[in-house]
Amino acid sequence: MTAPPILLTVDIGGTFTDIVALDSVSGTITVEKLLTTYPDPSGAVLAGVANLLENARLAPASIRYVVHGTTLITNTLIERKGAKTALLTTAGFRDAVEIGNEGRYDMYDLALKKPAPLVERRLRFDVPERILADGRVRQALDEACLREICAALRAETIEAVAICFLHAYTNPAHELAALEIARDELPAVSLSASHQVAPGMREYPRASTTSANAYVQPAAERYLERVASGLGASGIRAPLNIMLSSGGTTTVAAARAFPVRLVESGPAGGALAGVYWGRLLGRSDVLAFDMGGTTAKAALTRAGDLAISHQSEVAHAHRFKRGSGLPLMTPMIEMIEIGAGGGSIARLNPLGLPAVGPQSAGSAPGPAAYGLGGREPTVTDADLLLGYLNPDYFAGGSIRLNVEKARASFAGLAAALNLTLDRMAWGVHQLVNENMAAAARVHAAERGLEIRRYCMVATGGAGPVHACGVAQGLGIREIIIPPLAGVGSAFGFLTAPIAFDFTRSYVAKLRELDVAEVNAILRELEREGRRIVEAAGVPAPDISASLNIDMRYVGQGYEVRVPFPLETLTKDHIAKMQQVFEDEYRAFYGKLADGVPIEAVNWRVLISGPKPTIEIAAPEAPAGDGAPYACRPVRLAPDQAPQVTPVYRREQLAQGWSAEGPLIIEEAASTTVVTPGWSARMAAGGCLLLKRGELA
Amino acid sequence: MIDPITLEVIWRRLISVVDEQAAALIHSSFTTVVREAGDLSAGVFDRSGNMIAQSVTGTPGHINTMANCVRRFVVPKYPIDSLEPGDTLITNDPWEASGHLFDLTIVSPVFYRGRGVAYFANTCHAVDIGGATMGGDARSLYEEGLAIPLMKLFKAGEANSALFDIIRANVRVPDQVIGDIYAQEVGNQVGARKLIEMLDEYDLPDIEEVSAQILDRTEIALRAAIGALPDGRYTNTIMIDGFDEPLTIACAITVAGDNLTVDYEGSSPQVDRGINVVLNYTHAYTTYTLMAALAPGIPNNEGAFRPIEVRAPLGSILNCRRPAPVSARHLIGHFVSQPLLTALAEIVPGQVIANGSAGLWNTMMDGIDAHGNEFAYIFFSAGGMGAAQDRDGLSATAFPSGIMGVPVEAIETAAPLLMHRRELRPDSGGPGRFRGGLGQVMELEIITGRSANHSCMYDRTENPALGLLGGAPGAAGDLRLSDGGRPHPKSHYVLQPGQRVILELPGGGGFGPPLERDPARVLADARAGYVSLAAAERDYGLAIDPATMSIDAVATAARRQRQESAAPTQKKEPSPSRDHGAHSE
Repeated sequence: MTAPPILLTVDIGGTFTDIVALDSVSGTITVEKLLTTYPDPSGAVLAGVANLLENARLAPASIRYVVHGTTLITNTLIERKGAKTALLTTAGFRDAVEIGNEGRYDMYDLALKKPAPLVERRLRFDVPERILADGRVRQALDEACLREICAALRAETIEAVAICFLHAYTNPAHELAALEIARDELPAVSLSASHQVAPGMREYPRASTTSANAYVQPAAERYLERVASGLGASGIRAPLNIMLSSGGTTTVAAARAFPVRLVESGPAGGALAGVYWGRLLGRSDVLAFDMGGTTAKAALTRAGDLAISHQSEVAHAHRFKRGSGLPLMTPMIEMIEIGAGGGSIARLNPLGLPAVGPQSAGSAPGPAAYGLGGREPTVTDADLLLGYLNPDYFAGGSIRLNVEKARASFAGLAAALNLTLDRMAWGVHQLVNENMAAAARVHAAERGLEIRRYCMVATGGAGPVHACGVAQGLGIREIIIPPLAGVGSAFGFLTAPIAFDFTRSYVAKLRELDVAEVNAILRELEREGRRIVEAAGVPAPDISASLNIDMRYVGQGYEVRVPFPLETLTKDHIAKMQQVFEDEYRAFYGKLADGVPIEAVNWRVLISGPKPTIEIAAPEAPAGDGAPYACRPVRLAPDQAPQVTPVYRREQLAQGWSAEGPLIIEEAASTTVVTPGWSARMAAGGCLLLKRGELA
Repeated sequence: MIDPITLEVIWRRLISVVDEQAAALIHSSFTTVVREAGDLSAGVFDRSGNMIAQSVTGTPGHINTMANCVRRFVVPKYPIDSLEPGDTLITNDPWEASGHLFDLTIVSPVFYRGRGVAYFANTCHAVDIGGATMGGDARSLYEEGLAIPLMKLFKAGEANSALFDIIRANVRVPDQVIGDIYAQEVGNQVGARKLIEMLDEYDLPDIEEVSAQILDRTEIALRAAIGALPDGRYTNTIMIDGFDEPLTIACAITVAGDNLTVDYEGSSPQVDRGINVVLNYTHAYTTYTLMAALAPGIPNNEGAFRPIEVRAPLGSILNCRRPAPVSARHLIGHFVSQPLLTALAEIVPGQVIANGSAGLWNTMMDGIDAHGNEFAYIFFSAGGMGAAQDRDGLSATAFPSGIMGVPVEAIETAAPLLMHRRELRPDSGGPGRFRGGLGQVMELEIITGRSANHSCMYDRTENPALGLLGGAPGAAGDLRLSDGGRPHPKSHYVLQPGQRVILELPGGGGFGPPLERDPARVLADARAGYVSLAAAERDYGLAIDPATMSIDAVATAARRQRQESAAPTQKKEPSPSRDHGAHSE
């Protein structure tokens, strides 16, 4: 082995910057965690990497590659701190980003707020040109007019320009010409064109995505430049790869061109980690479930891989309401976010029934038990009263929980409902579980997935406390509580392949498909993707390319995505396309729409390097003997008295250890509650495996 | 007796079940208006037909009419114990269901442990139902298409093939219409499967007890909200364009303790054009509007209908007699929200909004495409919403309807139309301390080289949205052709190749006197182009230097004072008043 052994990943979160180093020879993992620095997060990155190298006695030259993920892009959009951006549209359509979908995301809220477009109206410009739905040019691009607009933009000291012309996804000629002119007139300005950033039909989400890309681009360029040069200065010669929302990584150059593809890359890493741990134990259907202080996130695999969506939102006007954000059409690991966490507050709803969240006490003042001034009952308070949490060992003992304050917080709610405190606490625990289960259930239903077949990988401070309850509500029978949960996203980055995908809309009925045209499109997409992936250092023979086609019956508006071999197409492939579509459709909807013609809509080519095969060393032999270190009364059923339950320390459990619930396993990062009917076993890789109904 | 925690858990679960039902329906639907516009409803009902939960998608005209349809018409004719597994019912009767033939309501019973336990129902807008096109031209129901009395669509899993054949023979795009009927059935079956899983999990025989408790609690909560209002009679009357003659919508809200009655006595008689509204539809938009204003946090179910009584004289435009034509009933029905909110402004001004565009603008085109095939395409567009006590109205946003617009690229991909522009309409928002939302402008052309039929369903071309408490009206809508022609806004005409039709959608009304608007807001509006410099001066009394686009504070103060004293003495008290229907300017 001559290649340097160390793989290094860095994840910048809102609070912490996590760094993980894996020695690919020994499998040893080293972790560094420090506070994220503001306003320039590259400070923590460089300091943390230096610390880690020093503590682990690693030479910069021993690093083979670096993967970096950041919330910077998401935060820039949420906080509206991006560049002064202009939007150029087909004349007559500059308001598409403001007219939006004309709907209200909450029918009963007369006071609802919509997200303001990233580009104010004054800076949105009409450009005379027109391309039709079939790609024909109806009106040529008015280049003189465009140059006049560019002059105005110079006067306004615009930093970034987004270009979104109607139907550019079928014919990009005018956007390409406009890019050329803008580059000529505005050499220092960042440029984003919709057919490159988000080549799909629907002008509102496409213009929104293109605007977002332009809006974050200058900040992303400056930041990535600082990180790259900083790492270089510290002696690291390894290439820097950037984590994408789609679960792949890419070059700094590609990330600078498409920074909007970095949105939510941290949670993507968490989901990848879930898939890794599932695979390690031989499970391919994985529900990655993360529950923190304010929100819970869930992602599902489909046929062994995380599902990718091209419809998402960012920077919501109303945090937990679908439809209140700026739409994005970039590839993103499909994930749901629910307003359910340890800090979620329990209150009476207008029907006089208890409801939990989405309001959260957050970390300040936090749950009542923190003793920092919070008075409202939260999920963490309920978990404490039920005996699930150890008041002296919460977050490894760094936060003391006050049981009396938790009890006091529940008094009013329990009295209003005429329930005992314990029954009330049980109810809050159960309700938050059902909220999360309901969200996951509807999410799975919208995709036609049978969630009960899944294995849950539970992470986050509150995830392992609630895992059994949520799993039960979903009919799930297996749960993995992985190690290294504190740096889950950065760990997940280790498993991300270098990958990039391109999409082109080309709508045609299958029986009228022009295969020569399709082949030309596919070749171009593949060439572009290979160029990027090769630039990231993947040798050409290791690169794989795959195709997904979005198809539907003519007249439908939602497509079914089917994988199809990426090869030179002939007329003979068309029957096969129809067949794979019908198989998928039948699986999803039960019945075919016989006699209705089928059309292909989007062609998606994914170019990917090999999936990194990482092996981690077996955990060190535990210090203890695997016996419970304590017992405490824990409430495990609504109508029964608390039951004295054994409590373990995770670090004392050796591989092969097993026991039947009820039991509790504590660690610094979380507490695993194994309820009656579930068993626990210390499985490979330091994973706790919980199973329902049988001894693992 | 179920404890409150279990009750909440099961009820949340029922909501997720109806969301799964709606998801299955939307994803297998063939119709743009269902998919992109969300023009559908889905819900679950107990054995007696009480709606317990509805999906988060949907529009009041479908949800609340579906609720009444199941309880008042489906259950009496097909009590659950008279049905068998695999049965599914269908109707599009306007009086029993949602007010026009286009909407198909499909109802499926659910059986558990050998007994009927619930119904799932959904209502979707079919892209075509035969008859004349969707405008308001018909003189009677019989011209409006195929009527399907309440009957079985499936009997014990066996399709009613005679009915399918009849539908296929009567509609212009049979594949889409039949495909959507299957999608509706799929939605109900998904709901049924999930409900059975839930009953298994919680070991419940049915949902009767859950239903009784949720409905009672909802009723109690809504009665508390009504009880908090001062007793009295609050009235308002508005004028709308109507078909050939303007129409009056008059409402009187009577609050007596924890009961609320809405009476539309004084509204215009029904007309012989397809814009008449059945009582069920009037009821739907009345209860919706009241819930949104008075109790937005309370769930919408049968319990929410109990404290509210809705009356309209039989034979009036809001309670028409069979066989009145009703195809474009939403043109009128959406407007009941307007006088209701204005009447409520007298007692809860902070909870209402000024009048807005209200009616969706429905554009339907049909003809022969470039390949010689028939096409029919409909899309909805929204004007501006009214302003409120503390905020401007939303521009180009549908209210009270819950549907969404369709992207231009989707329109042009599905139909041989060319949209030349679609943008916000400057100066269309009614001036006020808070400004009404802006309407939008659209310019359309047919590109088949042949003519096409354009069915128009547009209102507020004569009667703009009025302002509230001193706010001024929004701009009225306008419909014209590029060569100067002026089509009837509620009829149809032939759009010729090369000709363009220009639609200017109405803006929302303002709230509070315009001269009280913060000059910084007026300036921001002027810089964005929402308000012209001329209007900033005329309506808001602002002196803006066009060269620097900055406010001349001294000149503004003087101008405002001048305009204030020049204006007729404006009453500062609420404009809606007891027993007569004056409006503010």
